[in-house]
Amino acid sequence: MSAGTPPLPGTPKLQARALNCPKCGAAIGLRSFGQAETVVCASCHCILDAKDPNLAILQQFEIKTSDVRPLIPLGTRGKLRGTDYEAIGFQRRSTQVDGITYCWHEYVLFNPYKGIRYLSEYNGHWNDISICKMLPMSEGTSANYLGEIYKHFQTCNASTDFVLGEFPWQVRVGEKAAVTDYVHPPRVLSSEKLDTEVTWSIGEYMYGREIWETFKLPGAPPEAMGVYENQPSPVATNVAGMWVAFAAFAVLLLALIAGFDMRAKKEPVLHQTFHWERAKVANETSFVTDVFELKGRPSTVEVKTWAPVSNEWIYLNYALINQDTGQAWDFGREVSYYSGYDSDGSWSEGNRNDSVVIPSVPSGHYYFRIEPEVDPAVPAIAYSVEVTRDVPVFGIYGIAFLALLAPVVIISFRAYAFERSRWSESDHPPMQFSSSSGDDE
Amino acid sequence: MFRKFYLLYGFLVLGTAAFGQYRGWSLDTINQLKNVPKSVRDNPGSYRSVYSGYHHYTGGK
Repeated sequence: MSAGTPPLPGTPKLQARALNCPKCGAAIGLRSFGQAETVVCASCHCILDAKDPNLAILQQFEIKTSDVRPLIPLGTRGKLRGTDYEAIGFQRRSTQVDGITYCWHEYVLFNPYKGIRYLSEYNGHWNDISICKMLPMSEGTSANYLGEIYKHFQTCNASTDFVLGEFPWQVRVGEKAAVTDYVHPPRVLSSEKLDTEVTWSIGEYMYGREIWETFKLPGAPPEAMGVYENQPSPVATNVAGMWVAFAAFAVLLLALIAGFDMRAKKEPVLHQTFHWERAKVANETSFVTDVFELKGRPSTVEVKTWAPVSNEWIYLNYALINQDTGQAWDFGREVSYYSGYDSDGSWSEGNRNDSVVIPSVPSGHYYFRIEPEVDPAVPAIAYSVEVTRDVPVFGIYGIAFLALLAPVVIISFRAYAFERSRWSESDHPPMQFSSSSGDDE
Repeated sequence: MFRKFYLLYGFLVLGTAAFGQYRGWSLDTINQLKNVPKSVRDNPGSYRSVYSGYHHYTGGK
């Protein structure tokens, strides 16, 4: 409860004046003390002059549909932004765009100390609206209110279709006003021009469940459909800030790459060329290399193989074996290279070089067991094996880069899709991609 | 909220990359074995690689 605004009495009851409709005699209650300009008889739908002691009839209208019923029944009270308000008026308004009628509902809320404020509802989207305290500055496609820039969203002619309860202005059914909305989610700045009078109001988006909690309404609020003009994006984050953070991480990643690359020992521990001749090989082709020492903390061991193959292959079964512990890393590598010519020109595939990185090899004395298998068409071949200790693995950085990039791309895409959906309903829709191929001209 | 989460996540990713690099992680698949007999050094044929008998590609477009 805000200071100076005592709660309204617990049980809603008609305040100040209880009168009768001069047309049908039904009881008319005035809840807003002297603030109402017009009051509508719920029985005969006469719009009456609330300032006139005799409730002069200003207009009578026919209800075209029977489904016009306020979601917040008039007389319902609720605490909105710390202040008790009572729903005293309801109107349905509509606009036509491209032959389609769009309807929305507006509620007049009243507090004897705070005055009037409004709620609007469209397809389950709600706005808490109050009259601007200062005059906004509108310039072209934007408006400035209290230092905040609002973008023009749409301008339309709103027509009043149905009214019920009390209104602090001379309301009429059929009344038309030019409404212009500027948005800065979650706020919307609206100007409403009726004849020569312009009224500016500021609204803030509210979720249906907040309205239901505020007014303690039974059941569940209608589900919000689509994206509303000032609906806050569910991607509640600053996308540009995310990209800045990503850029900072990318720089840190580069620093990490440079640091580890400089720090890596890249120590050659074995470089040997082996000769294989089919004529000399009996049943057993495997052999072992000399023992070499790997020093330092557990780190990578890179094994590079080179073979001068041409339209042939060589396959090497490798086993890096720790002489002291019997621990082994077993793997096979194929070196093959094929090339030729066909109707498309020359082609090639494969590589004469191969590289593999063995992970986290502890220090110790090691040797390789190598078992070559060679293309049956090859009578003899020489191949070289080069072993290097402690080499950086750039693939890890690649994965890290993608892991850093993925959330930013996902968030950006979601934010873009949401904004695209929002602005597609505006006077400034994003560029539409045509599905037409252009062949039908 | 999400930015804070992303900052935390980013440092976690960088920390993991740095740790992996320091510990010598690799993206290659290598089969690890334990207790290979010492006799392999004198008799390499007594060891059988799990990859022997691999079906070799014979190339050609």
